[in-house]
Amino acid sequence: MVDLSRVYRVFLRLYPARFREEFEAPLVRQFADEYREAFTRTSRIAFLLRALADLAMTLPAEIARELRQDLRYAARVYRRRALVTGLALTALALAIGATTGVFSVVNALLVRSLPFRQPERIVQVQTPPVPPLAGRSQFYGWRDSSPYTADTAAYYPTEMNLGLAGQSVRLSIAETSANFFTLLGSEPVFGRGFTAGEDIAGHDGVAVIAHSVWQQYFGEDPRALGATIHLNGAPLTVIGVAPPALDFPGKTAVWTPTIFNYQRLPKQGVFFGDTIARLKPGVSLTQARAMFEAQARRLNPDSFTRQGSPYPSLIPLQERLAGTVRQASFVLLGVVAFVLLVACANVAHLLLSRVAERRRELMIRGALGASRARLVQQLITESTLLTLASGAAGLGIAHWAARLAAMAQPAKLASQGYTILDSRVLVFTVGVALLTGIVFGVLPALLIGRLQPAMDPLRSQSGSHGSGASRMRAALVVLQAAFTLVLLAGSIIMSRSFLHLLRTDLGYRTANVVTLNVSLAGTRWEADHTMRQYYKDALQRLRSIPGVDSAAAIQFMPLIEQFGMGSNFKLDSGHQSSLASTIAVTPDYFRTMRTGLIEGREFTAADQATSERVVIVNEEFARRVGAGFHLVGRKISSEWPPNAKAVTIVGVVRTAKAHGPSAADFPQIFFPTEQLVPGFVTFVARVRGDVEPYLSICRDVVQQVDRQVPVYDVKTLDQRLSDNLARPRFYTTAVLFFGGLALLLALLGIYGVASYSIAQRTHEIGVRIAVGASAPGVRLMLLRQSLLPMLFGLAAGIVAAIALGKYLQHLIDSAQPIDAQTCAAAAALLAAFAAVAVWGATRRVTRVDPMSALRAE
Amino acid sequence: MAEPGELTPQDFLPLPLPVFHMLLALSEGERHGYGLKREILRRTDGKLNLGSGALYGSISRMMEQGLIEESDERPDFHLDDERRRYYRITALGRRVVQAEAVRLQQLVRLAENTLGLPELA
Repeated sequence: MVDLSRVYRVFLRLYPARFREEFEAPLVRQFADEYREAFTRTSRIAFLLRALADLAMTLPAEIARELRQDLRYAARVYRRRALVTGLALTALALAIGATTGVFSVVNALLVRSLPFRQPERIVQVQTPPVPPLAGRSQFYGWRDSSPYTADTAAYYPTEMNLGLAGQSVRLSIAETSANFFTLLGSEPVFGRGFTAGEDIAGHDGVAVIAHSVWQQYFGEDPRALGATIHLNGAPLTVIGVAPPALDFPGKTAVWTPTIFNYQRLPKQGVFFGDTIARLKPGVSLTQARAMFEAQARRLNPDSFTRQGSPYPSLIPLQERLAGTVRQASFVLLGVVAFVLLVACANVAHLLLSRVAERRRELMIRGALGASRARLVQQLITESTLLTLASGAAGLGIAHWAARLAAMAQPAKLASQGYTILDSRVLVFTVGVALLTGIVFGVLPALLIGRLQPAMDPLRSQSGSHGSGASRMRAALVVLQAAFTLVLLAGSIIMSRSFLHLLRTDLGYRTANVVTLNVSLAGTRWEADHTMRQYYKDALQRLRSIPGVDSAAAIQFMPLIEQFGMGSNFKLDSGHQSSLASTIAVTPDYFRTMRTGLIEGREFTAADQATSERVVIVNEEFARRVGAGFHLVGRKISSEWPPNAKAVTIVGVVRTAKAHGPSAADFPQIFFPTEQLVPGFVTFVARVRGDVEPYLSICRDVVQQVDRQVPVYDVKTLDQRLSDNLARPRFYTTAVLFFGGLALLLALLGIYGVASYSIAQRTHEIGVRIAVGASAPGVRLMLLRQSLLPMLFGLAAGIVAAIALGKYLQHLIDSAQPIDAQTCAAAAALLAAFAAVAVWGATRRVTRVDPMSALRAE
Repeated sequence: MAEPGELTPQDFLPLPLPVFHMLLALSEGERHGYGLKREILRRTDGKLNLGSGALYGSISRMMEQGLIEESDERPDFHLDDERRRYYRITALGRRVVQAEAVRLQQLVRLAENTLGLPELA
């Protein structure tokens, strides 16, 4: 019987605090009475069942009732302190919103499943012992002998001119092995995928088109099946339409089973192939990795030591697709979590002062038998109301943050779009809001309760100085100062690195330059002499546009991500260069780009196919070859092909940063396009005045050379630089913004604590002044006392910043680790601001009237 | 807390059946919670058996609304000697239960006139 009452009492704990406080005793007594009065076994069981049903029926109503009351009360309290509440709400909304925004990126890239069958079983094979280049039978032979995979497929993502229905457009293409769709488990929704032998030469005249291509170019016409499309001029028959969600390996418009047949589709540039595999059922990733590495060591031991290619390994496809965004997002998640904690500390301050304000009320209620549970319940309601409201507002900020992230660092696949309209993201937001509400609402209350169990009325007069609440406050200040210092130090490093990027001399001027691409592979211009003719014609047209100062063309344009070509070179003196990239350029290129000529001359119209073979080298080449900088007139020859003729250096130019300001300098050797005709080029035109209108003019002019040759990727060079810097700019802005926000919040917190403690100690201050202390003296004392806990925070923050600083490299490659000097600067900044804030808070000391303070005694 | 002064008895109508019975029982004298429950059980021939949660939930709401109030805490000699909290009806509560009775009466009259109810046994 006693036990049953105890069980019932446990159930009663589910009731809200006020109801329980009021009626727990009668409820338990009545339970005991009724149980005693039920004599038979059956009536007792019936009674217990009735009691349970009664609990189930009345619990929701009672909880809802008290929640409504608590909410009404909380809303009144917050309205009374609208400014403080508004600040806390804004800060929390920003912090929760930013956290959610970053989580939406993590969710899209790493949590949400890829649109494949069992996507977690698919891995990217990094540096396979038998690459697709080895040929079809070798590749499949390797696949069949690999005990850890169920299937292995090859693909090569590239861009090609797609000719269909009289149009010609530039699109992303994937050349694949025949088992590509089968391995992914994502077969075409319409028509069919590739069959087993279709990647054999002679059988490979087929293509699967993306759903978007089917919509855009065929108007979803079923007759698309069987239609002929041209990839770089080669005709292919459409046999299937991919599912809407499929665009792997990246924005892919057409898939062809031609990876093993290099000649099938005309192409230019460098050919690579990627490999994916599906793990054999029952084989774990760790086991597969071990087997793969053992195999790679046996088949191709060199691959473990070769420079320039990654270590052979199996990488989950999702992780591989996320790439560097993965680490960057985790670092950013850490940053926003710190901001969230700083914001939460402010909420805790707010709630603590609420508790302190209500001390007397609580003591009176306590004397009347009110429980701490009531206070805790009210605090939970108050704080979760605040954090949930912030979470709701934060969703708007998260949406905006996700869009910014998508602009700075878009996901590779369409199915990986960053969105907050995802159940996991929404659950995350609500979870974060609830958790912060509960932790930072209840923790202070519980701690206060523990530190002053008696709620001694005698101590209430002495203010909260030295009490649990003030210790709690000091702890919060320490926490805020520490996190803020880490964020500030990070902001300093990030800004410094980004400014460094902006100030880097690229070796060319990006202003007033139009750039546009063409590729002649597979077009009617494909022969060397016709390509020369095309380029000449296009350049002539560009140069004749009024306002165009100069125009030229280059094979591998700076700021365009593409694989280059290179070779080792030897100077006639025997000096050997390391790998140098080889790039064809037309006359006037360096003048158009404003790349300085150090020595010699640019190419001219006189450098013909039949004239002396000449090159221009860059400064970095001259530096690395180590034979002094006077290279004009010297001869160099490449190591490959072995019998290549020596060529004469006619000029040395400044080194251009080909991959943007953060990239390392690389030796380059330029050939005249007349002597080394490229299959594709980027035209550059330097114009006078506003560059934007020239984008369409230049495009139209080049397009007029041949309607069937798509002119694509028409952009200003400034835009390309801006794109190149989008990622570091985004991360720098983010860290800087959060650093600033944390600083602001920390100052608000410190100011709030200082002014609160001064308000509590008005009496003591009055007495001090009455017995002869000067107001400035008292203010200095208060300043010292307020800043002391902050110093502990700064010290902790410096340790944390130095430990965590190295992770900033995931945001900006060139970021230096956080050093002591940076920490000192951040600490000085924070301390100075805090001192000003606290000094401002102590202003009211000068208004304390010692006489009234004494009279109150 | 609702301010009872702003509400007229009509604002409380119709009363939930348990509340009506509780007010009715309390209008005969002060009772504690358990006593109230037993009285209602007796009056309704065991048909209205209020669970403890429902009982005290109603009591709490009625106190908020100012229909009843606590009187004092004293032992009940009929049960045991433990101290129990007694409740009594307020003036407002009395007016409300009367208004509810009138409402029910009107309802019954309406039904009588419409249907011609047989005489109650």
